[in-house]
Amino acid sequence: MNTPRINPDDPKWTAYVLGELSEAERAEIEQLLESSDEARALVDELTLATATLKEELIPLSSFSMTPEQKAAILSAAQPVSQSSGSWFGLFPAKWAWGLAATAAVAVFGVTTLMVVNQDSQEPTRPIAQVAENRVPAEETKAIETAPPQAPVQAARQQEQKLRERADASASQGQSAMGYIVGGNVAAPRKDEKSESLQGAASNAAPPPPAPVQPERALQRTIVTPAVTEQEVRTAQASLPEELRANVGIATQERARREAGPVAAAPPPPAPPAVTAPGRGGGGGGRGGGGGAAAGGRGGVAGGAGPGIAQGQAGVVRDGMVIDDFRAAAAPPPPPAAPPARPASSTFVDNNVRAVPANTEAYDRIVDNPFIRTIQEPLATFSIDVDTASYANVRRFLTQNQMPPRDAVRIEEMINYFSYDYAQPTGDAPIAPNMEVAASPWNPQNRLVRIGIKARDINANRRPPSNLVFLIDVSGSMNTPQKLPLVKAGLRMLVDRLGENDNVSIVVYAGVSGLVLPSTSAIRKERIQQAIDSLQPGGSTNGASGIQLAYNQAVSNFIRGGTNRVILMTDGDFNVGVTNQGELTRLIEDRARSGVFLSVLGFGMSNIKDSTLEKLADQGNGNYAYIDTINEARKVLVEEMGSTLVTIAKDVKIQVDFNPARVEAYRLIGYENRLLRTEDFNNDMKDAGDMGAGHTVTALFEVVPKGGNVPGPSIDPSKYLLDQPQIAAAGAGGRGNANAASAEMLTLRVRYKQPDSDTSTRMDVPFVDRGSTFQRASADFRFAVSVAAFGMVLRDSPYRGNTTLETVSEMAQNSRGSDRNGYRQEFIELVQRARRLR
Amino acid sequence: MTETSKSRWIVEALELHESALIRYARWILSDLESAREVVQETFLRLCKEDPARIEGHLAQWLFTVCRNLAFDARKKESRMTPLGDTEIAVAPDLDERRTVSQVFQLVETLPKNQREVIYLKFQCDLSYKEISEVTKLSVSNVGFLIHSAVRAIRKQMLPEVPQVPQAHQAIRRMQ
Repeated sequence: MNTPRINPDDPKWTAYVLGELSEAERAEIEQLLESSDEARALVDELTLATATLKEELIPLSSFSMTPEQKAAILSAAQPVSQSSGSWFGLFPAKWAWGLAATAAVAVFGVTTLMVVNQDSQEPTRPIAQVAENRVPAEETKAIETAPPQAPVQAARQQEQKLRERADASASQGQSAMGYIVGGNVAAPRKDEKSESLQGAASNAAPPPPAPVQPERALQRTIVTPAVTEQEVRTAQASLPEELRANVGIATQERARREAGPVAAAPPPPAPPAVTAPGRGGGGGGRGGGGGAAAGGRGGVAGGAGPGIAQGQAGVVRDGMVIDDFRAAAAPPPPPAAPPARPASSTFVDNNVRAVPANTEAYDRIVDNPFIRTIQEPLATFSIDVDTASYANVRRFLTQNQMPPRDAVRIEEMINYFSYDYAQPTGDAPIAPNMEVAASPWNPQNRLVRIGIKARDINANRRPPSNLVFLIDVSGSMNTPQKLPLVKAGLRMLVDRLGENDNVSIVVYAGVSGLVLPSTSAIRKERIQQAIDSLQPGGSTNGASGIQLAYNQAVSNFIRGGTNRVILMTDGDFNVGVTNQGELTRLIEDRARSGVFLSVLGFGMSNIKDSTLEKLADQGNGNYAYIDTINEARKVLVEEMGSTLVTIAKDVKIQVDFNPARVEAYRLIGYENRLLRTEDFNNDMKDAGDMGAGHTVTALFEVVPKGGNVPGPSIDPSKYLLDQPQIAAAGAGGRGNANAASAEMLTLRVRYKQPDSDTSTRMDVPFVDRGSTFQRASADFRFAVSVAAFGMVLRDSPYRGNTTLETVSEMAQNSRGSDRNGYRQEFIELVQRARRLR
Repeated sequence: MTETSKSRWIVEALELHESALIRYARWILSDLESAREVVQETFLRLCKEDPARIEGHLAQWLFTVCRNLAFDARKKESRMTPLGDTEIAVAPDLDERRTVSQVFQLVETLPKNQREVIYLKFQCDLSYKEISEVTKLSVSNVGFLIHSAVRAIRKQMLPEVPQVPQAHQAIRRMQ
């Protein structure tokens, strides 16, 4: 046989191995391979050598520029900002990165909005479509999480796909909450409350999506998804207002997308409609889920539904059943009637405060009633920085449906908009702001607006951070108290981070690897995907993982920033050289580089306390032990995340009404945020946190002294001083000397500094100067119009003569500068509602 | 192309190439901070470009500009080093490699022109054509350099190489 001559010096051989040859050249080589052993041996050698080179040279860690540098690039990518020179100029350079990214997000969000609307015109939006939406993201994850053997190549192949899915991914938002993972969401549901949901899911293709909005119960019982959603918004609060609003669109858009399949679609013609009746009706939550089909008051179980559904969504995502979580997530179903007051209640009148201390969430919202000042002069509630309800209402209306009334949470609608309140002065992180004017729907009554403004963050105050999470994914982490907790905690934390923060994830087990190269926390979805991808398996070799994590931290070192490796493990280093001396030496050595170590121990059984504590000590770090989701939240969100963005925590409001001036009052909205009177001074009692620059607004409707209080009258106690006596404001009785003052009320605000356990109280007395509604500020009138809209949508018994027409008029007259067009959008929503009526 | 799609384009370019570019610049400059500055400048220049003009050879463009800037910066820093005699000496990830095999050190022993193309090929994953555009070498020259380098590495690895007779078939299947 005439074997062709092989010239091993010909570069074509390597080119062949590397896939660099043309079709013809390759065919030629392959022909040679058929006939020549020598050629085959050569190619084999080269294959091995190139594979080894690839293997050895692949980047283990990734590099990124500093946030400032990226910001500069992003602002340069915006010709608008260059020409006008003003838009970005408004903000410190560090914001610009977020601004640009968010601007992009906002635009994508709008794009998707149209897409989704089209979708909703179709009879059904089957699960397949939801899955489709996820697919590109999965692909991205594949790039991100795969060992970067061919990063550029692979990335380039994805370039097109990235572009194609850009809008989708952007609008999928930052939070993991409500992700529909595969089609499995409905599968593990067993609870009675969700049976009908499950049924609906199997009948009509779309499974109920995880509820869109955080439920109060979830917040209190700390179920991850709800919390994360909440935190997202808190994190958003740290953005400048324009930005926050932009993010709002995206978040809302994602909400729309995720809630879409069930609620958005008109009843499908072919499959049995999603008419989950009665108990299951509210299961989709205020997100609208089944609630839309079942009609507004989706039944009592609706209250429990979202909790369960969300809890399980989290559970499913982690691929494990975590009974603890579910138990915590599911509040006991509330009674059918407006919940009866416990005997311990201090209130007697049925008309007064239907639910004492709403410490649990009820899906059903009962409007706060008027409360007589002589019976309870103190109104106590927690601030609420949520805005989801507005987004949800908008979704319904955009789809030409009236929102179910329980989907309308007025405080979240009001707080969706930003108002121009004065910055805090002095040391206080927050500043209260009040205004009063006549109520447009009942001119005898007064409306009091309470606004709280959190200090805008000085971008230089919080250094940018470079966080490397080093996560033990060994087999021993495969229990509900470990890896799922790690993931839940991470999600919560990541939602708190902002554009100044970079996150990397390194895992270790049998082998260690970079799951997520340093990624700006503005790309939350990407980080969440990496977190979702974590799977337990393999054995542990702590040492090389720590090395890799430190290298990653050093590669992305931010001078003057926070550079920290956060090790999350049960400490069970059970493979390889786990010579503790060597390990601690390594860490001690690295600590000098300015990278700090936090060690978080997980799990209850085989945690190696001493190892971990030693590591943390050596690494200039701290050590915490996490055994429950509450603890994960406390450590990761409250202690770590909140020091990053939170300005004030546990912000509570207590309004002390002067009985000599105020006959009765009613808090509009905040039904689920009411606190017991004594909770105000109880620093153990959680309340809402405020991020930088955030505003929170609450409205009270006040019946002036002697005015007519709606509802049945009350016979005064024969033992108390009677009304004239109070009015005379003699000492003693229910009114004292202060009552004689002109003060209408005193606003008390309690807050904690983000790093404090004890609260600070501010007292602000307030006098009603008798302003008419027309003379009130535009912000005031607009907030009132939003509240009025909510009351109409909720068909509130307290809405007086308010109609959509009056709402529309109020809103149009109070549009103000409306920089972002949100108020205009609101006006259009009102018009839409008018057409639907 | 609208402003927004341009910024999206920049964001995606950052996503795809930022890390590799910094790594590359650091390799040339031996300093992370300077490397970041060079890469920032690279992207700032990209912002001024018409995306349509660069579409399809974004990677080459970025690596070329980055390389030129890095060499310029290097030249400024040490005026003693002539451009043509630039030494790329520092292993990019020496720290990471302590526990890893000798292959990396083998690469370090290669002549600098081979080292760079090997780097661009295996670490930055550029194609021959892209490397050619970045380095201003001809495609065949790139092929030659890579082939020589791979064979040199292969030779030095020889004692520990197991036989894998099926490898070429696997390649053909892949292709």
